[in-house]
Amino acid sequence: MTSAPLTLTVNGRPERLEGVPGGERLLDALRWRLGLKGTKEGCRSGDCGACTVLVDGVSVLSCLTLVHDVDGSRVTTIEGVAREPIGNAVRAAFDRAGALQCGYCTPGFVMALTGLLNERGTAAPLDELLDGLQGNLCRCTGYAAIVRAIALAQEAIR
Amino acid sequence: MPPFDLVAPSTPEEAIATLRTRPSGEVRVVAGGTDLLLDVDAGRIHPTTVVSLRRLPWRTLDWNGPALTIGSTLPLRALENDPDVRVRIPGLYQAVKAVGSVALRHRATLGGNLGRSAPASDLIPMLLALEAEVDLLGPDGARALPLDRFVKASRATELGPFELIRSVRIPEARPSAYLWQRVRPANDISQIAVAIAYSPRTNGWTVAVGGVPPRPRLFPEAGAVLGVGAPTPEAIQKAADRATRAVRLVSDRRASEEYRRHLVGTLLARAVRAAAAPEEFHR
Repeated sequence: MTSAPLTLTVNGRPERLEGVPGGERLLDALRWRLGLKGTKEGCRSGDCGACTVLVDGVSVLSCLTLVHDVDGSRVTTIEGVAREPIGNAVRAAFDRAGALQCGYCTPGFVMALTGLLNERGTAAPLDELLDGLQGNLCRCTGYAAIVRAIALAQEAIR
Repeated sequence: MPPFDLVAPSTPEEAIATLRTRPSGEVRVVAGGTDLLLDVDAGRIHPTTVVSLRRLPWRTLDWNGPALTIGSTLPLRALENDPDVRVRIPGLYQAVKAVGSVALRHRATLGGNLGRSAPASDLIPMLLALEAEVDLLGPDGARALPLDRFVKASRATELGPFELIRSVRIPEARPSAYLWQRVRPANDISQIAVAIAYSPRTNGWTVAVGGVPPRPRLFPEAGAVLGVGAPTPEAIQKAADRATRAVRLVSDRRASEEYRRHLVGTLLARAVRAAAAPEEFHR
């Protein structure tokens, strides 16, 4: 078992984690060590996108990321997304568009879209953003409102 | 979650020494982790030690004239975002984009994909068609192998127990295309995929097919009939027929053998047209 301490900056706050086993996922460290339950566990196999968080500004699947492998990184979860201008615009757009039904996929969608806009620029074409969200599944199939939220977010940022 | 010891050496030499000196138990190597953790969860592997490559200086992408060398731990998303890859080796760009989702590609690596050696790998058929070479580093130094020799079967490669995949070299940027068929783009693997490339140096076409057991493979018999330069519709049809006849296919939960056979011909014909005239072909 690996017990070297690791440090993360989570939603702007420095965190030092001790005694974390080598096989622990970022998802579990966020939910169970730091109490950040906004990041959801869906399939736990990289298919659904519900566990998406940002590591150094870009999206990763926290269920398939070893927490030790992101030692020293900046992590943003749904709880901290409003701290950044792009993330806040995306969050507000999902709210305004009513882009959720049961809400389970929402944190993953918000983080994935925020990551894409960080990476590709806020004026990225819609087809590229839709393409980039293919890894996020909404079991309620509430996609139409999610697509509206993308346009609202881009409008708000411009 | 079965516990394992995770070590992250800071040099390749240290990593190889770690592989050699671990006395007992199962030792595995991890780059991005997107395959390894699935295998751990499914109980397919039971590592006691996992060696993380995250500190090694292999997140590289180097163009040297027509050749491209890709470090084994470079995240696939970085390869996809390179503007030259998109323009100079379009098939490679398309194959990388076919792997999982954006968030997955921010972690997944080329080395991991080759080390896993899945029959439905999107990268292996394209790299076969590009005649890529795998650069391995072990206790006795480095050696380079054609990818076609490196890949053996599902989860089986020529990689020695104390060796690491250091990089992959594509000798020549080529007009190319990679087309696949599957049910969901980012959450499933291909039923069949066809990779095709044209060498300006030899004026020859190479054709590879993925989604076939026991591993993706080249079809020189299909490449040969495409001839030199832009092939005629008749040559494309003949190549598709040859590949369709030669390929070994199975029925499984993703697709029937019959449907796969149909896909090989259809995707091959489309891929040739896409590689020959990328500006006229959008998928």
